[in-house]
Amino acid sequence: MTSQTHDKVVIVGGGPAGTAAAAELACHGLKSVIIDEAPKLGGVIYRGPLRKTDSLPHLDDNLKRAMTALQTRYQAHRESIEVKTQTRVLGPEGSNQLLLSDDSGLSRQPYGHLILATGCHERSVPFPGWQLPGVMLLGGVQLQLKSGLVRPGQRMALVGTGPLLPLVACQLHKAGVDVVGVYEASPFAKLAKEAVALLNKPKLTLSGMSMMSYLKKHKIPFKYGWGIVSAQGEEQLSSIHVAPYDSQWRPQRDLAEQVAVDAIGVGYGFVARTQLAMLLGLEHTYSKVSGYVPALDEWHQSQNHSAFVVGDSNGLLGADAAICEGQLAALRLAWQCGKITESELFSRATKVNNKLARIKKFRFGFDRFSDRQPGLLSLAQPQTVVCRCEQVRKEQLDEAIAQGVKDITSLKMRTRIGMGDCQGKTCSSYALDYLHQAGLTENIGVIKPRFPLDPIPFTLME
Amino acid sequence: MKKYDVVIAGGGAVGAACAYFLSRDTDLKIALIDLKKPGNASRASAGGLWAIGESVGLGCGVIFFKTLSKLHSEAQGKEVPVMRPHQLPDCFFEFALTSNNMYPALHQEMLEKHDVDFKFERTGLKFIMYNEEDRLYAEQITQGIPHLADQVRWLDAEQLKKEEPYVTDDAIGAIDFICDHQVNPYRLVDAYLEGARQNGVSLYLNTEVTSVIRNGNVVEGVKTSDEVFFCDTLINASGAWANELYQQATGRTMPVYPVKGQIVLSERMPKIMNGCISTSDCYIAQKDNGEILIGSSTEEKGFDTTNSLDKIQELSQGAMKCLPILKESSIKRCWAGLRPGTPDELPILGPVEGVEGYLNACGHFRTGILTSAITGQLMTELIMGKTPSLDLTPFSVERFEEAEQKAG
Repeated sequence: MTSQTHDKVVIVGGGPAGTAAAAELACHGLKSVIIDEAPKLGGVIYRGPLRKTDSLPHLDDNLKRAMTALQTRYQAHRESIEVKTQTRVLGPEGSNQLLLSDDSGLSRQPYGHLILATGCHERSVPFPGWQLPGVMLLGGVQLQLKSGLVRPGQRMALVGTGPLLPLVACQLHKAGVDVVGVYEASPFAKLAKEAVALLNKPKLTLSGMSMMSYLKKHKIPFKYGWGIVSAQGEEQLSSIHVAPYDSQWRPQRDLAEQVAVDAIGVGYGFVARTQLAMLLGLEHTYSKVSGYVPALDEWHQSQNHSAFVVGDSNGLLGADAAICEGQLAALRLAWQCGKITESELFSRATKVNNKLARIKKFRFGFDRFSDRQPGLLSLAQPQTVVCRCEQVRKEQLDEAIAQGVKDITSLKMRTRIGMGDCQGKTCSSYALDYLHQAGLTENIGVIKPRFPLDPIPFTLME
Repeated sequence: MKKYDVVIAGGGAVGAACAYFLSRDTDLKIALIDLKKPGNASRASAGGLWAIGESVGLGCGVIFFKTLSKLHSEAQGKEVPVMRPHQLPDCFFEFALTSNNMYPALHQEMLEKHDVDFKFERTGLKFIMYNEEDRLYAEQITQGIPHLADQVRWLDAEQLKKEEPYVTDDAIGAIDFICDHQVNPYRLVDAYLEGARQNGVSLYLNTEVTSVIRNGNVVEGVKTSDEVFFCDTLINASGAWANELYQQATGRTMPVYPVKGQIVLSERMPKIMNGCISTSDCYIAQKDNGEILIGSSTEEKGFDTTNSLDKIQELSQGAMKCLPILKESSIKRCWAGLRPGTPDELPILGPVEGVEGYLNACGHFRTGILTSAITGQLMTELIMGKTPSLDLTPFSVERFEEAEQKAG
């Protein structure tokens, strides 16, 4: 009996990476359990509406195709894949179990093998007014549209960097939102330099171009080299200031323009969601694009704990790459379990790796274009709150650093940054960048996640 | 190569206190070397200054004693020993109470001279009684400390209700130790370090002492991964890791070992507690930001710092029994710290016979925050060549060697 449960592959996260891994495992006769906190598989990107709807006028055909593909992938193997939705992983329990919580309480999930596909979360960029209702992160705006089927605002602007800006702008407009401006922090010239890289995925590049022409056709201003300065409003956002950014993304405040809006989407990037991997004790290394990411071999397997980490949770590459990584991990596991031969492993993996390589070249082009510049850190003013849970202001970070704080744990102890309910998911990437900017690069550490990863009611302990 | 008068290995409450008092009272050139490791007890602690409470076996002690009793009864089969208050020897009372008395002034001093606030709060520590057995236990405690009668207050159910309205109606009363208070443990360590820094101590944080430099029976300094620190005196304040350094410095071993303690922390709540609480299941303290801290398990699992559901359940159940309002709240986070335990629960302080240039300031077990101040003061006195203001004989490492010889 125990051997059966221990054989099970437990996959945390049912997005593109996790679902692809489960499907690939099933192809080789391996059963898996997918645990996901949402009511539906698909991850933030392909979950789709959480209630029934007849039409999705604002969602483009590419997205609908991808959603269907993921569902098909799962449906074809559903007998081998157990899905636990609306279930949260609170952390490890003992040496080969996870502690879960759902509506019915706490439970333990034993595992023989573990694949983490926990995705990413948005990178917060504090600026004056960023806590006003109506200021949202870009992915959140998209989720309201795609899963909530609500318009996040009537009159909106988008600020940030990267391909999500035009995509969400089109989606908002199609959903009937008045999009008054899109502000991309990097200059167009920088994008042009990446043309060769972008041609690795001609279809995606083409679709990006068609989005840009859609915006043009509907007279939605798209400004390169511009970004957010501040947000204003009494109880609710009423306007923002945007300004041209210099090459370091420092806003030229004297050229700032005020734009009346009732909501904005802010998208200056994402951070790999690695809290569970850290709690499991996997080694991590720092990456400027993705934050701390697990140290893995070419099959996405960690040295210690031998867990696999795939998709955005091991570095931000997007959904297509996540699918490839899920497949690679599953193939390696199938080989480790003796389900496929070494030559089958390598022949199948080569195809996936080739695809992955093309995606990476494309993606790295965008990473270079959207490379975060230090000016972004100067948006926050001394009084601006940088840790929302604990209401820590930027000047408190400055004071601590002036007093000799050289690492993030000391910064946390001194200011309480990262000690709130979100355990630093919101503020720690800013704090890390800030320490780096202060010239502190070695041994600065990371805000360590604590058990449980989400608060749990005391009553579950009765 | 660097040369200091004093090098302190370890920057927890004890090491930081040594750095502060030494830098305040002497002109010596001092360095403190610290590496954050999972399980650092000062950062994991509750911050209770429970001088009487801990000396008579409440606070962490009650859990420790229960665990001991359980192990004892399991080892002896069915014979269940009667649970009696677990009182530490008089020398510890003096040590703990002297240290405790230092905090009000230290708090003022830190605020005024160094602009740091370690959040000293006068709370008292109440032992909540649910039944006659608890009352007998409490009576035994007070009988054991007749000289401290003025620090003990008995509360009947009605008085308790008035002072702690959220404590369960099932409580029949409490004894309150009116001199037992609390601080914020991170802020305390931070305050010592910041004070020390302002007084000129060189802080080498995120730096690991890799070995001790010894010349015959003289300790001459320490090495880190990329530097050498020579010193006249090395203070070993490395907590649960102290034995490692001791071995290198003296070639002998001493019984300091990690005792794991798991802690449960609630979300922020409105103020529901006026004082700190101890029951026979757990201790409970509400911190200045509203979070309620529940401690603490007592486990010997080496350097393991993972959380386990069984202990978290036990602590949470104990806390909910005492404060039913917690059922409306959530557990925000849990963690585990490693107390530097010793067999007789007393710290190991002072010089080692036959070894020069070395001082122990370790083995503080569950009272490092409380006794950091007096430890800092005593180490300063030793280094200045003064007669220590408290007799250090009972805390000398030789007590274990003698015990071993006797046993041998």
